[in-house]
Amino acid sequence: MDISISIELTTRSIPSGISRMKAALILFLAVTPISASCSAEDTGIGKSYQVPYRLTDTNHFLVRLRINGKGPFNFLVDTGAPAFFISTETAKKSGLIPAKDSFWTRVGRVDFEGGAQLLGIRARIEDPFQLVGMNALGLPGASIDGLIGYTVLARFRIELDPTKDRMTWTRLDFNPVDPPIPHRPEAGGGPPELEAMNALGPLAKGLAFLMGKQAEEQLHPRGFLGLEWSEIKESSSTSATIRIDRVLNGSPADKAGIQEGDRIVRIGGKEVTGRSAALAALANTHAGEALNMTIRRGRGAQAKDISLTITAGEGL
Amino acid sequence: MHIKSFKAVLALLGLGILVAPGSARAQATATAKATAATPAKAAVVPFEMLSTNHMLVKATINGKGPYYLIFDLGAPITLLGNKAAESSGVIDGKAPKAFLFSMRGEAEIGRLESGELKATKLPAIVFDHPALGVMGRALGRQIDGIIGFTLFARYKTTIDYQASKMTFRPVDFAMRDLLKELPDRLMGPKTAKRRVLSPAGLWGLRLGPTTGSVNSPGIPIAEVMPDSPAAKGGLKPGDILTTLDGRWTASTADVYAAASGVEPGKKADVIVLREGKEITLSLEPADGA
Repeated sequence: MDISISIELTTRSIPSGISRMKAALILFLAVTPISASCSAEDTGIGKSYQVPYRLTDTNHFLVRLRINGKGPFNFLVDTGAPAFFISTETAKKSGLIPAKDSFWTRVGRVDFEGGAQLLGIRARIEDPFQLVGMNALGLPGASIDGLIGYTVLARFRIELDPTKDRMTWTRLDFNPVDPPIPHRPEAGGGPPELEAMNALGPLAKGLAFLMGKQAEEQLHPRGFLGLEWSEIKESSSTSATIRIDRVLNGSPADKAGIQEGDRIVRIGGKEVTGRSAALAALANTHAGEALNMTIRRGRGAQAKDISLTITAGEGL
Repeated sequence: MHIKSFKAVLALLGLGILVAPGSARAQATATAKATAATPAKAAVVPFEMLSTNHMLVKATINGKGPYYLIFDLGAPITLLGNKAAESSGVIDGKAPKAFLFSMRGEAEIGRLESGELKATKLPAIVFDHPALGVMGRALGRQIDGIIGFTLFARYKTTIDYQASKMTFRPVDFAMRDLLKELPDRLMGPKTAKRRVLSPAGLWGLRLGPTTGSVNSPGIPIAEVMPDSPAAKGGLKPGDILTTLDGRWTASTADVYAAASGVEPGKKADVIVLREGKEITLSLEPADGA
């Protein structure tokens, strides 16, 4: 057991170098630096964008983008990557044909979630072994379709606050240069340590074969009731009740007989002592699930508790 | 191919015995709770762009140095090469090395200073990353390691490539301890985690099926309930929902995830395609479910 754990730590630490790797590849034997990067044809200098991101199980930052309108794809924000790397599979899915006579492939348009856009940008289509390895093991909890490195990121001032769910990207008047093109005499020619690292992609695949791939998290939408409510504070300070303000016509709540003015007493056996308690009691409900609910109808002496069953529907 | 990787795996698993760090691990007290001893004001750190398009930061470690570290948002951990780790006292020179990459394992950087930034008790891993070696030799530069997530998880980080500087403002963020968590996960069951996405408010709409195609701009609205917040905001059945509150809605899960961030009573921009034209609506979900 211990053995494989140690190995895992080793393989794991490699993606940290994802791009270091790349970098090394690119730099070694680099002869002709490209003079100028493609000048992005778009404008919008000074404009700020709120870019939603996801922190993976492996502590990587993923943002989403569309390539020539196709997507969305998950890309790793990686200041350690010298350029823009698109996996071969992602290129294929987005209809991007790798340039035959050039190291870089020109991408007409890249749209980032949050609204930023780059036009006419160069990318390298290939599969960095770290992505191959991580994806094979299912480690990040989401497939990673490529890397956005310096030649993309440097066009923006990037603000990243791990306590917020979005980054802020502000377009700079700055056109980064592409890294030098490596010339690779033939595949497999490189310093032994790089060769060793290149073996880690297949190695991770092998490990996945032995250990199984981590399953991606399954996301389910919460079931729908069709209730609008307000939280009514009781005179006793801590507790509150939920009063139904509206029952949407034809909704599951309507079908179950809930009426405007009813108060929710219990959901699924749990006491509803306020808004957050109501939401918590419903948090794991999925469409089609039958819920027991107790409501109080009427006020004062006429008040009576009614138990009913409500079948959650689809919607939000 | 399979047999080959199998052999490689077995061989490496075997070598793994040597990896288990002894005294190195004893020093490792890396915890997610370690706090940044940084002034509340922003700390500015200059960086240098290498010709390989990497950001290089000059730093002292435990008062020693300077050391040169690559700043890497794509690195989940901070990494230090053996030489730097030993000379800065992060690791005991006598700690055993593994055959593979001279792996020393987990350690903790007592104090790292760069520009105006001072960080203490920084979790790190010590080994000689091959690519750093290759890079350093090719550039004729000293490259001692990588600054990764364990540092920048503590800050709101701003990177300005044009000005060649970064600023760090401390935030309170509980970091996942990857090195502890990951082996358990790898060895654990392969069952998928299940998570229900709860909208924060009531919108009054039902979604249609997604195609899941990369050509699909969004998800169709199947139903808009009468008098609901969605109806009041002008949403119509047949609209293709492309963006909710600045988030793309390519899948059902996307819509629910976006809606989980819109509190009742807060207006959110909703972008739809209606008869091929893009329309931005403003919707305000109600309190409810």
